[in-house]
Amino acid sequence: MTGIVMEAKNVYKTYGKNSKKADIKQVEAVKNVSLKIRKGDIKLIFGPSGSGKSTFLRCLAMLDIPDAGEIYLGDECLTKPGVDLNKARARIGFVFQHIYLFRHLTALGNVELALRRVLKLPKEEARERALAALAEVRVTDCVNKYPAQMSGGQAQRVGIARALARNPDIILLDEPTSALDPELTGEVIDTLRDLAKEGTTMLIVSHEMPFARDVAEEMIFYDEGRIVETGSPSLFFNAPNTDRAKKFMDRIIKRTTR
Amino acid sequence: MLEVWQQLILLLEGVPLTLSISILSFLIGIAIGLPLAFIRVYEIEVGFVVDAYEKIFRGIPEIVLMLMFFFGLGPFFPFPFNNAFFVAVFIMGLRSGANQSQIYRGAIRGVGDEQMIAGQSVGLSKWSAIGHIMVPQVFTYSTPGLGSEYALLIKDSAYIYVIGGLNEIMTQAIRIKSIPPYDVITPFVLAAILYIVLTFPIAFSLDRWGNRRKKKIGL
Repeated sequence: MTGIVMEAKNVYKTYGKNSKKADIKQVEAVKNVSLKIRKGDIKLIFGPSGSGKSTFLRCLAMLDIPDAGEIYLGDECLTKPGVDLNKARARIGFVFQHIYLFRHLTALGNVELALRRVLKLPKEEARERALAALAEVRVTDCVNKYPAQMSGGQAQRVGIARALARNPDIILLDEPTSALDPELTGEVIDTLRDLAKEGTTMLIVSHEMPFARDVAEEMIFYDEGRIVETGSPSLFFNAPNTDRAKKFMDRIIKRTTR
Repeated sequence: MLEVWQQLILLLEGVPLTLSISILSFLIGIAIGLPLAFIRVYEIEVGFVVDAYEKIFRGIPEIVLMLMFFFGLGPFFPFPFNNAFFVAVFIMGLRSGANQSQIYRGAIRGVGDEQMIAGQSVGLSKWSAIGHIMVPQVFTYSTPGLGSEYALLIKDSAYIYVIGGLNEIMTQAIRIKSIPPYDVITPFVLAAILYIVLTFPIAFSLDRWGNRRKKKIGL
């Protein structure tokens, strides 16, 4: 075993290719991006909005199908035709920026659904595991609430529990705090810190810099569809090699310390 | 000469048939409309077949279809088209399916593709995401439209009198009218009241249930 949980090889994805509308330009969101994630890794992707980070993350989970390149989950190539993508997605946790909880289900129902219908666990066991996942992200008071009755921070933590409950090989988080009010981001960040302590393999798109400095083993600066620079948090916080990363860090640090 | 209460009793005898034909057609409409809506949204290749079906059944008056099937096909295919009840439910169910497909299609857009993507992100297949995540929300989203659809079916059931043999409200009203001294007003006023009574309480409670549920789940 190589210990590699997920690998992207030259992933390429454009938008608007088949669009009939003339005013929609073809956008290259992901231009031959490669990335390796080993078991227990915590990597953080950051970069300007609209640079294609979310698209890249969705490609990794095969929620968007790449135009070219390969994606491996362990030893399995997901981009080969005929692969059971549903089975593969069951092994990948995904947390959305805009949360996307199932509106018609309670917190418990949201977490339970995949345990029952995908992993086919018996009812009792699914319930137990769902409750354990909800306890882990500290939303036991919301178990029977519907998403519309929760705060954004609670909802996002349920979203994390939903991704976590299946014991996925890796969790991909797409800006999990950027749609939340500032006072609610803290509780979600705390949850992510807990997961980090437990050694959960995570790839996170985020601009929460103090969090990044504390938990990320590697930071990836992503701009215009490409990985521009990769390095440890101390590299980025002190002296990034590229100009673009330097400028971006300057701006973001100014903004968070203001 | 029939007294008003005698007329009313005759009309009330038509209620079970009017209700059962309408509700059965409504359920058939769900069974047809719901899958078709999802096929049209998610399986574009066969969309044109669905489109043709919807255009035919939304474009031709039900009364014409009923006459065509009962008197046109009935003699050649006595089973099942010689059966008035079957033809009535068949035509009204198919017509309602075409209508409901359109209602659900709007609701699918309203519920949003993100719910599908979230469903697939946890490992559900496309069709089980549709079943477990989309369908319950699509129903809630559709309630005002479904209330009107039910009302439409109750009203349209009056056309059944043209094929005869089914003693629903309208057929009963016409029968009363044909009894000397040929009172053309009372039976139809009574029938009108009955139709309203059958329509609105159910349509109204369906809407109210939908509104409450929408509020609860934030749709």
